[in-house]
Amino acid sequence: MTKREKILLKAAIVFALLFAIAPTVNAMHIMEGYLPAAYCVAWGIVCLPFLVAGFISLKNKIKTNRRNLTLIAMSGAFIFVISSLKIPSVTGSCSHMTGTGLGAILFGPAAVSVLGIIVLIFQAVLLAHGGLTTLGANTFSMAVAGPLVAFGIYKLCGKLNVNRRVSVFLAAFLGDIFTYCVTSVQLALAYPSEVGGTAASAVKFLGVFAPTQLPLAVIEGILTVVIVIGLETYAVPELRNIGFLKGKEAE
Amino acid sequence: MIVIDKLCYQSKFRYVNASEKFVYAVLTLILCVISRSVLTAAVVFFVNVWLTVAKGGIPFARYGKLLLIPAAFLLVSTIALVVNLSRTPLDAFAFPLGEWYLTGSSASVREALRLCGKAFAAVTCLYFLSLTTVMTDILGVLKKLHIPGLVIELMMLIYRFIFLLMETASAIITSQNSRLGSRDYRTRLRSFGSMGSALLVRSIKRSGVLYDAMEARCYDGELKVLSEERPAEKKEILCIAGYEAVLLGMVIWSWIR
Repeated sequence: MTKREKILLKAAIVFALLFAIAPTVNAMHIMEGYLPAAYCVAWGIVCLPFLVAGFISLKNKIKTNRRNLTLIAMSGAFIFVISSLKIPSVTGSCSHMTGTGLGAILFGPAAVSVLGIIVLIFQAVLLAHGGLTTLGANTFSMAVAGPLVAFGIYKLCGKLNVNRRVSVFLAAFLGDIFTYCVTSVQLALAYPSEVGGTAASAVKFLGVFAPTQLPLAVIEGILTVVIVIGLETYAVPELRNIGFLKGKEAE
Repeated sequence: MIVIDKLCYQSKFRYVNASEKFVYAVLTLILCVISRSVLTAAVVFFVNVWLTVAKGGIPFARYGKLLLIPAAFLLVSTIALVVNLSRTPLDAFAFPLGEWYLTGSSASVREALRLCGKAFAAVTCLYFLSLTTVMTDILGVLKKLHIPGLVIELMMLIYRFIFLLMETASAIITSQNSRLGSRDYRTRLRSFGSMGSALLVRSIKRSGVLYDAMEARCYDGELKVLSEERPAEKKEILCIAGYEAVLLGMVIWSWIR
């Protein structure tokens, strides 16, 4: 071993140790200050139409029944709390759900876009997950893209008469996976690789985050199914209240 | 229950004018992100740590632990930035893997290090805001920025409900643990799921009760809360303006250099 290789080996060991004790495995929020300014602004603008649509839909919901205000706020708090609690993970590291897939299934993607950005602001300020400059990018991946896919898959499975539990699992699982893919692409667009450009960079980001994100997506899918089963057993009137179960399905 | 929130209420800057703190944190954050030099990042980092820990009275050990939160993300994504898989070795390092090399150029290593420095400096800006300004004050500032009233109202309610729900959740978790709810992995998954559904049921019920309570107190579509306004001191404003001007100068210098 040359001297340089020895140093590299030591660096690798230190790195591996750091990685082993890395405190939290988050649902891949891009950290504060990690994106160049132009990308922060661009992703914010991309989110705007979704946020406006979500805002209008929430406003109408509250107009039709004022009672919905506290209900919507509670749903937002629920998403925050569910995403801030430690979930049982295989490796023993502490990881968190995104909760947005569940939110999209229960409350619809329009409501989740506005609730999502509020939850992301709270996560940045209160939990230091994500950041203010990366709020636009994180909102797009977690509050817009993921929930839209989750909701789309849930509805599609409903049309195809797939078993409800399977469809809830698929929706939450694929919503999570999609969020992780979008985040990787966002990072790759900002930092294209020297060898192979944006595409190679995207593959690299997908690769390094896969070991934490894939198991997390499976666990999130399972937990979402368990939560929905619990709700279907104990909370039929409440579910009808938030529009998750329509009259006939409930019986 | 939320560490940052708890620490924030202890900060010595808690009663300083909220808009002033907000403007300081956001301006510094923007300058830090658009700057290209490590020097700016270093200045921002140390000034913020000094302000939050030495002046604000946040325990240093706590602060250090908080700084570690984004470390996992930073480590993993920096590897992705630096390491390439290519047929030709680059100049910084190269490990042969059959016919390919795990390799990186020294330009990208430098770039990655600079990015890490910048990101950590940006994180200290965020921490300055979240460790000195309580959420209700931040909402007051957002109101002044003409964020729609409905959003502010939702944020206020959500902030309140977070603590209600966390209390409920931790009570449920405690009682699950005392009944062998985390015996093995399967049970843990089931416990978490049933906690989630119980939490949602309770929160929906609670939201109904809360609305009744609000209506009983003449709620008519607008939540009004008293906010205390403390005027910003001229001296502090001058200091902030001077500091931001220096930072701006450094940023411009980093561009033209």
